[in-house]
Amino acid sequence: MDLSFTAEHEKFRTEVRAWIADNLKQTWSDALRDPNNGEHELIEVRRAWQRARYKAGYLGMSFPKEWGGRGATGVEEAILAEELARADAPEHVNFLGIGLCAPALIHHGSEEQRRRFIPPMLAGDEIWCQGFSEPGAGSDLASLRTKAELDGDSFILNGQKCWTTFGPWADWVFVLARTDPNDRYGGISFILCDLKSEGIDMRPLKQITGESEFGEVFFENVRVPKENLVGEVGEGWKIAMTVLGYERGAGTMSTAAHLGNGLRNLVKTAKELGLDDVGTRRKLGKLVVDWQTLYSNGLRTLANMADGKAPGPESSIEKLFWSEFDQRLRETALELLGAGGQLSRFYSGARPDVDWPRDFLWSRAETIFSGSSEIQRNIIAKRVLGLPQA
Amino acid sequence: MRFELSEDQTLLKDATTSFFASESPIETSREVSEADGEGFSRGQWKKLAELGYLGLIAAESAGGAGLGAIELSVVLQQAGRVCFPGPLLDVVLATRALTAAGGQDETITQIAAGEKIVVLAQSDRVWPDDIGGATFADGHVKGSKVFVPFAASADALLVTTDAGLVLAEGPFACEPMPTVDEAQRFARVEFDNAATLIGDNTLVEGVWELAHVGAAALALGVCEAAGEATIRYSTERETFGKPIGVYQVLQHRMADMVLRTESSRAIVFRAAWSLDNGAADRGLVAVSAKQYAVESANEITLASVQIHGGNGFTWEYNVHRWLKLAMTLDHHYGARNDLLERALEQVEAQ
Repeated sequence: MDLSFTAEHEKFRTEVRAWIADNLKQTWSDALRDPNNGEHELIEVRRAWQRARYKAGYLGMSFPKEWGGRGATGVEEAILAEELARADAPEHVNFLGIGLCAPALIHHGSEEQRRRFIPPMLAGDEIWCQGFSEPGAGSDLASLRTKAELDGDSFILNGQKCWTTFGPWADWVFVLARTDPNDRYGGISFILCDLKSEGIDMRPLKQITGESEFGEVFFENVRVPKENLVGEVGEGWKIAMTVLGYERGAGTMSTAAHLGNGLRNLVKTAKELGLDDVGTRRKLGKLVVDWQTLYSNGLRTLANMADGKAPGPESSIEKLFWSEFDQRLRETALELLGAGGQLSRFYSGARPDVDWPRDFLWSRAETIFSGSSEIQRNIIAKRVLGLPQA
Repeated sequence: MRFELSEDQTLLKDATTSFFASESPIETSREVSEADGEGFSRGQWKKLAELGYLGLIAAESAGGAGLGAIELSVVLQQAGRVCFPGPLLDVVLATRALTAAGGQDETITQIAAGEKIVVLAQSDRVWPDDIGGATFADGHVKGSKVFVPFAASADALLVTTDAGLVLAEGPFACEPMPTVDEAQRFARVEFDNAATLIGDNTLVEGVWELAHVGAAALALGVCEAAGEATIRYSTERETFGKPIGVYQVLQHRMADMVLRTESSRAIVFRAAWSLDNGAADRGLVAVSAKQYAVESANEITLASVQIHGGNGFTWEYNVHRWLKLAMTLDHHYGARNDLLERALEQVEAQ
């Protein structure tokens, strides 16, 4: 066993920390609390931060050099993510593009596609959204019905995608579309579609937080050039599953750092409010224990990755753990803070450190998106335990 | 970076797994612990000594193997799986305290050789308002200690007193303290024994982190074994013409067992590694490992009773053995509420 970071990694951490200290002018919490910042302004805050990171070489670091990366290892990616979370830096604006679409292009796309799409994706010039879920296809994603029919040099897209994160702000969408109605998995293809195309109708979808971070997209006879197909016709499901593996596995260290901020804020707030009775302290102590366990899970994944082991079912375990931990953290916060904990962040008498009600509501999405808790438990029951299926 | 055990540690794991599987499968452990008497087998104790388990972390100069918390966790994980009876963790902790005190190589050698059983006697209270404790003067220890593990079998006890940590020579006046777990042999000890002062009481605090990790490793073994037994049962037991493992409501409870077991493994071995490498946050990690793994062992064994249905409530099935070990661990080697408080204090101090 060796869970230590090398001297080189520590040097990298110091370098990243110094760069963030010099370049991050406003924490994400402060940006959120600024009454001048509407949703649009917040997107620009994130875009500006993304550009700064890209210019400094702190974005897509594990991509090959020719695609703006530095061929960095997962350990360096994790250190960067941890330091960004610790500093409460904004998330970059293209996390779906860079997290899911770029790996799909790097592993399955053509040279032309990489050259055309990856640089503006990294620079934040083109924002991407993900066209996977449909009104009738959420957890059962393979039942999707949006159609792509070949007509000469183009695909003709018809159908609807929803819960499209970042849809209202996006320039492009990567779509899973049905190219063969008779083949459940092999009849799905991965297609890149310009959202300015004729026949696209993007409508913001208001969320329970009051924000419209996601939307729904309608495709009506949308013509997409054939060159925008990633991989071969019918390879879409395979490609999607590979890239979703990245989404599920890679970020636990950064999530642990992010949730560590939330937990430290709660501990600080409880102290300032004089909430020091035994019951409160035990509840907080339990969150500390769980947070340390979450971090240990991330450290194991990172060490296994550095050791050359392919990610296994532990990605389901990590997803379950962090999403349910975040909900316990926010539930405990609202329980301890009482009526005051429900105040809007814009009210002058609200606690200045965290937007507790917004974070509470937001945490409810986490056990639904990217494989709901129920789906994750099904995966464990089937793939880890090999339990008989109904 | 690497999470996997080293080659030597893997060899130790394999050897230990087959030792406990052949020497003391859970059925044998049960026979030994459920019978009257010392609560462990002197024959097995001798084998533990011969194979180097008792001196696992003692220095080689004192007859030990000179290994660390990772190896101890590897061994205790297997011991936990079979609910191995006897004070294995307790004597290992005694060797650590004696090593820290210095000048105690003779006693450590005797412990490692299985010739002497020495354990810590450091609990003063059963109830919060109890006033207990031991005093030391003129080469004599007086007073009492409670929840002393396997005290009736001990040749000597390491006792925390008003003057510091003393090594008291047996035999001891023991009153058995039976608990929910029939495999334990706790006793209340009334002292009037010859003793030597070997250091101050902080020696015991220094052993505490290792006690947390050791108990967490036992709990990890409980998580694994109780989980596996439950999953096996769910594929054999049929209702309405189908194995019960086919029902999603049970599958999700068993998926939670995996979640807790794998997460326990991650923090237990991180904690062991942190102790062996003197990591700055080892105190927080050790406390968290103990609390998380033991809480998980309790959750998993309770779910196991439920999924075993009526059979889970019988004495015959093994589930209650794992449950009771988990319940014991909840309040020893660091009690739940103290650990929660200490975990919070460490974050407040950051």
